[in-house]
Amino acid sequence: MKKIILTLILFVFVGNIYAQLDNKPSKTQFMVRGYGSASFSSLNNSGEKESSFNTGTFAPIFLFKLSDKLMFEAEMEFEFENGELESALEYADVMYVMNDYMTIRAGKFLLPFGTFMERLHPTWINKLSTVPLGFGHDGIVPSTGVGVEIRGAFSVSSSKFNYAFYSTNGPKLNNGADEPEEAGILHFNNYEDNNTNKSFGGRIGYLPFSDSSVELGFSFLNSKVGDADSSYENVSSNLIAYDFSFIKKIEPLGGVIDIKAQVNTSNVGDASYFEEHNGVLEEYTFDNKSDSFYAQLSYRPTASETDFFNNLEFVGRVSKLNTPEGSEWESQVNQKTFGINYWLNWRSAIKMNYQITDGTGGHGGGLIDRKLFTIQLAFGI
Amino acid sequence: MKTIIKTTIVSLLMGLLVVSCSSNKEALVQVKKGVQAKSGVQLWGENCVRCHNIPSPAAFNDVDWSTIEMHMKVRANLTKVESEKIFEFIRSAN
Repeated sequence: MKKIILTLILFVFVGNIYAQLDNKPSKTQFMVRGYGSASFSSLNNSGEKESSFNTGTFAPIFLFKLSDKLMFEAEMEFEFENGELESALEYADVMYVMNDYMTIRAGKFLLPFGTFMERLHPTWINKLSTVPLGFGHDGIVPSTGVGVEIRGAFSVSSSKFNYAFYSTNGPKLNNGADEPEEAGILHFNNYEDNNTNKSFGGRIGYLPFSDSSVELGFSFLNSKVGDADSSYENVSSNLIAYDFSFIKKIEPLGGVIDIKAQVNTSNVGDASYFEEHNGVLEEYTFDNKSDSFYAQLSYRPTASETDFFNNLEFVGRVSKLNTPEGSEWESQVNQKTFGINYWLNWRSAIKMNYQITDGTGGHGGGLIDRKLFTIQLAFGI
Repeated sequence: MKTIIKTTIVSLLMGLLVVSCSSNKEALVQVKKGVQAKSGVQLWGENCVRCHNIPSPAAFNDVDWSTIEMHMKVRANLTKVESEKIFEFIRSAN
C-alpha cells in the first residue's frame, strides 16, 4: 500500500514539476476533490453499551484530465483506527473516450454491480451514516476490481440505456485453510489473480422516461474463484444484482421523493471444507448461496417556505442479509435504519441515525440484537 | 427471497405510479420528445439529483467544470447530448 501511495504522490509532483519547466501553460487539468466524515456513535449490543466519538475519515479524489479523451482518476481512503492510520486505494484507473458511445477504463475501478457501491456509497452522497447489509467488510457484494471495462450510454427515442462490461481478476474463494471460520466466503479486492481465469461481469441500465426519474438495472459477475492447482480450482461463482431508482419532485407532497433499492444474490459452486473437532479434521459442505437486499425511501420538503425545512431530509431504509445455512458464517439478519439529515450546503450534511439490527448467526453465532445511534458530519470538498 | 422480490416489485410499481400521477400534460410532451427537446438547465436538474444534490454553477470555475464533465459523463453514464447540454448551461451560468 505504501508503494502505491508513494507512486501516486510521485505522479502528482513529477507532473507538476514537468509542467513548471515548460513556460507554456499546461494543458493537463488537475483537481483534488473528495469527501470525509466525523461521527459519534452509541451502541447497545445485546445489553452491552458503548459510545464513542470516532476520528474522521478522509477520501481525497485526484482527477487528471490529460486531453478531451484521456483522464486518470484515483481515490484514496484514510482512517484512524485502533491507534493507527489506515489507508487504502479505493480506485485508480485510466479512462479513454473511444467514441460518443464507448469509454474504456483500465486499472482498479468501482464495479458497476448494482448502483450502491459505484454511485451512492460516499459519505456526502449516502443519505445514512451506515451502508446496507451485504455491502462493505465481509459483504457478499463486490465493490472494486482490477481489470478493464468498457461503458457508455445512448438514447433510444425518449428512453435511455447505459451499459458497462468488464473483466477483472475476480473474486477469490476463502478455502478455510487459514481462516476456518470464513470457509466459503468470497474476497473481492484482489490485486493479483489466484488462477488464470478472469471474471466477466457487467450492468445494463434502462431509463424509460426522458426525465431520468426511473432507472432499472441488471448486473452480473461470473468467475472461477478457487486457487489454481488446488482441489478448488473448478469452483465458480455467479453473482446477480437488480437495482431500482426513482427520484422526482412531487408537487402535492411539496418535495422530492427518492427511492433506491438493490437485490443481490451470490451462488458459489459446491466445495468441501474442513473444520477441527477435538483435534480431528472433519470434512463438511453446504449450499453456498447468499442474498441481500435493501430499499431506501427519502423525502426532502424542498417546496417549504422556510430554509430550515428546505434543508431537512427524512430517510428510512430496510435491509436484509442471508448467508449459507451450514456454513461457519451462517446468518439471517434484518436491519431497519431511520434518519434525519440537515443539509448545510449541497455537499455537507449533519445526519442523525437510529439503526436496529436483529437476527441470528454471524461470526459469533447466536442472537443478534444491536441498536445503534449515530450523529455524523459528512462533507464533500 | 420471495419477500425481497415482492418488496422490489412493490417499490417499482409505486415509483411508476407516482410518475404517472405527478406528470402533467406539458411534462408528458417533454417525455415523448426525449432528451433532444430539453434544455441544459432541465437536464442538469434531472440528472445530477439521481445520485446527489445539485451543485450551483458557481461551485467551480470553468476549467474545473471541464474536468468534472469528463469524470461525471463516465461515472453517471450521461449520453453525449446530455453531457454537452448540461455543461454548456453550467458554463453559461457561471
